[in-house]
Order: sequence, then structure tokens, then C-alpha cells
Amino acid sequence: MGKWVGVALIALVVVLGVAGVGSYNSLVGLDQAVRAQWGQVENVYQRRLDLVPNLVATVKGAANFEQETLTQVTEARAKASQVTTTASKDILEDPAAFQQFQQAQQNLTGALSRLLVTVERYPELKATQNFATLQAQLEGTENRITVERMRFNEAAQAFNTRRSRFPTVLFAGFFGGRFAEKPYFQAQQGAETAPKVQF
Amino acid sequence: MHRLKPWAALAVFLSCLGALAASFQPPAPPTRWATDTAGFLSESTRRTLDARLQKYEQDTGRQVIVWVGETTGGVPLEEWAARTFEAWGIGKKGRDDGVAVFVFAGERKIRLEVGYGIEPVVPDAIASRIIQQEAIPRFQAGDPDAAVIATVDALLRTLGGETSPPPPVAAVRERPAPELTPAQMIFYGLIALVMLIFLITHPRLAFYLLLQILSSGGGRRGSGGSGGGSFRGGGGRSGGGGASGSW
Repeated sequence: MGKWVGVALIALVVVLGVAGVGSYNSLVGLDQAVRAQWGQVENVYQRRLDLVPNLVATVKGAANFEQETLTQVTEARAKASQVTTTASKDILEDPAAFQQFQQAQQNLTGALSRLLVTVERYPELKATQNFATLQAQLEGTENRITVERMRFNEAAQAFNTRRSRFPTVLFAGFFGGRFAEKPYFQAQQGAETAPKVQF
Repeated sequence: MHRLKPWAALAVFLSCLGALAASFQPPAPPTRWATDTAGFLSESTRRTLDARLQKYEQDTGRQVIVWVGETTGGVPLEEWAARTFEAWGIGKKGRDDGVAVFVFAGERKIRLEVGYGIEPVVPDAIASRIIQQEAIPRFQAGDPDAAVIATVDALLRTLGGETSPPPPVAAVRERPAPELTPAQMIFYGLIALVMLIFLITHPRLAFYLLLQILSSGGGRRGSGGSGGGSFRGGGGRSGGGGASGSW
């Protein structure tokens, strides 16, 4: 009798071990996919950060452009830049830091869209080739941000779904923060739509 | 009514989740380089563009397609374009060197969607200029054929290599005709030998087998490959690069 209980226990341990290895490997793969996609997200946000000084310089050249709008953009950019460069490697495991990153970027989105609305009142600025180019670049960058955020959310969802499935959920906890649930980008107060550039 | 069983509620919830995940269905992948599902272009224009873009892919290895539809079905144009581009896999996998021209006749919108790898060649500013200067005025003048042709003209001019020899990027990609290794030669030789013996002992069966092999090989050649007759995406992706416009 006792022999059979021992055999059953060993069998159970073996089964759990095999399941654990499989779960671990699949989580590692999905985790890497999320990290790679996060890199893409950071790239496109960085692209926007690089674009803003050019935009500000071009707009500044226009006769008596509203100083306040420009200041807001510059400040929002500085904050977003700071959050982006200080973003630690484990931002994906830190919901608060992730939230902060998202908030800073959203503020920049808002400031930029206000800038573009203001530009509507300066037709001679809008007509310049330089501004048209910047506008197209900004529009494209906002669109890239949307796409990469969307793909990030999909990768995060794939990871989270796998993580919370039955056998896996038992193992995921063992590794502490390594396999924490991934955060999502949330659409907020209409900020998820890129500043619509009117032609 | 109140006593809805928990598993039933769970099933409803799960099916809702499924519906949410599958909310966007891109159209079926095109089989031609130029496709008009809305009857917006004249057939001769479509054919000309199709032949031209097919030739362009043969010459340079880059996939450029034109697709005309009615509407995006309520999906934002840019999201539609990025997801569809990925689903169709325009451009080579890893190289991501495809470009798609999407036109929506019903919504009077056009989008140039540029693969990741082509973004340095066709930056957003250029894509925007092509749309604003080439496409929009002609659409507004009521000449969609001219608008799409001018767009493709400008696009291929920017990409380059339409009639000249393919750029080095494409040269790397092109695979040389497979040469037989000695092992393969021995393998095929053995098969031929077996076939020959078979032909003598069971002539009917041998002919049947031969026919099978030939027809399956021919079928495979006809449906795929850039040298074949129909368009097939290579697994390329885009990241939302390009430009949009409406008229």
C-alpha cells in the first residue's frame, strides 16, 4: 500500500515538473515578445521626442506666435523625455512607473494637438514647405505610436492570457516579479486619437 | 430567468471576449498586384497597373500593390491599413520592403502604407507629398484612373529601379537557381533507376505515378513564387508609416 502511494507521489512530481518546464518556456517566449514590442513602443515615442524641437523651432520663426502654447509643448516634451530616459528596464513590472510614462506621453500628445490647433490661425506658417513636412512627419509618428501601442497590447494580452491559464498560474508565482502581469496602454479621454491634422 | 447558470454566464462572457479579439477581419488577401473591389477604376487601368507592378516585383523583389475598396467598415483608416498590411504580409519577411496604396471609393480616402524597411526611402513627408500633389487633385477633378496612375508613378520613381537593374538590396534577396549537390544527384538517380525498373515490371502503375508527380509539381509552381502568375504576400510588416489623405 505504502509502495503505491510513493509511486503515485513520484508520478505526480514528474508530471508537475514536465508541466512546469513547458509553462516556463512558453512564458519566457511570450515575455520576450512583449519586451521586444516595448522596445518598438519606446522607439516611436523617441522619434516623436526628436521631432518636437524642430517643430518648435519652425513655429517660433512665425511672426509673434503664441508663446504660451510653445512653452507648454516644450515643458511636456522635457517631462516625457525625462520619463523615457529614466524608464528602468523593469518598467513593465512596475505599474506605477508604466502609468507615469503613459501620463507624460499623453500630456505631450495633448500639448502637440493644441499647438496644431493654434497653427490653424497662422495661415502663412501653415503654407511653408518646412511646416508641411514637419506636419506630415508628426502625423506619421502619431500613427506609428498608435500601431506599436496596439501591438504591445496584443503581445501583453497573449502573455497575460497564458500566465493566468490553469497549470501555468501555479508556477508563474514562483518566479516573483519575473512573470508579473504585463500592463496595458489605456485609451484616455480622447487622447488616444492622434492630433488630427487638417489639410 | 434569474437563475442563469454560472457556466452559461461564463460561456457568454468568453464568447464576448472572442468576438472582441476578432473584431477586425481584414479582407481576403489579393491575388493580383492591382485589385479593385469597388469598380472604381477602369479595367484597362487596373490591368496596366497590375502588369506594371508584377513586373516591378520581378525586377526589384519589392512588392507594391494597389487595392481599391468601398469602405473600411467603420475602422479608422490607419488602423485598417496597418492591420491589413500585416495580415497580407506585403513585402519580404524580415526585409519589410512592401508598399500598399489603399483607396476607399466610398469614403473618398487614400492611404499609402509603407513597410518598416522602406520608411527611409519613402519617409512620411514624401508619402504625404505624393498624396497631396499627385493623388488628391486628380481625384478632385473626377479622374480616379489618373490619380492612381500618378500615385504609382511617383511612388515607383521614389523607390527607383523600375526599368534599371535591380538595386543591391534586391540582388541579395534573389536566390540562385538551386544546383544539385552530389547527394541529391545520387538520390534522384536512384529514383530514376527505380522508376525505370518499375516501368518495365509494372508499366501502367509507373505511368500513373509519373503523372501524379508531374501534376503536383506543376501545381505548386503555378500558385506560388514571384515568377508565378499571381500575387502572394511575403510576410512583410508595416508600423504605421506612410500618409493618408481625403478628397
